[in-house]
Amino acid sequence: MAAKIIANLLVAGGTVLFRAASQAYRQAIVNGTRAGMTAEGVQQAAKSAKQLTLREAEMILGVESGSSWQDVMKKYEHLMQANEKNGSFYLQSKVYSSYSNLQSKVYRAKERLEQEFQEQGLPTDGPEGGQQQQQQSGGQ
Amino acid sequence: MRAFYKGGFQPEMNRREAALILGVRESAPEEKVKEAHRRIMIANHPDAGGSSFIAAKVNEAKDMLLGKKTGGSSIF
Repeated sequence: MAAKIIANLLVAGGTVLFRAASQAYRQAIVNGTRAGMTAEGVQQAAKSAKQLTLREAEMILGVESGSSWQDVMKKYEHLMQANEKNGSFYLQSKVYSSYSNLQSKVYRAKERLEQEFQEQGLPTDGPEGGQQQQQQSGGQ
Repeated sequence: MRAFYKGGFQPEMNRREAALILGVRESAPEEKVKEAHRRIMIANHPDAGGSSFIAAKVNEAKDMLLGKKTGGSSIF
């Protein structure tokens, strides 16, 4: 009985918080616009602050777009360690965000490629996952 | 454990981000900014396996915090 009430409260509370947060976000944009930011500027800021682009993630970690996942991991670990000792929490966050962004993008790309390969009846065990060039070199 | 900041860097750096990058207050004295910059640059130096993008951001952060401090030339 009590659990149900608590659950209802939590849902209601969550909804209120969510609405408040989105309102606050909208208000922040309005305030920003008044302060002279253009619509593109705001979108850029929102995009950059919320969504890390693939390119920026690569730049932050210092990897090329053709790098292997191992290279990414190496850079990630090195940067995390270095900034854990002597960096700022903010920099650590950026490194971490880039890493997790690349990870999800790489994994998603890999999944998509594997799916395509399977549909075409090609083997999916090869190490060349990254690039999108479809080199139909006849398999082997 | 604190939650990490989300997303990438701001498209245009501001003092707040500069302070966050260096791990100092916006009102930190010059010596503190310089010391933080030096320490963080060494940790993130491109020649030592760091990323040049981050190194550039660290430099930019220092310039931003110090530039405004001495009332120096505007970058515009």
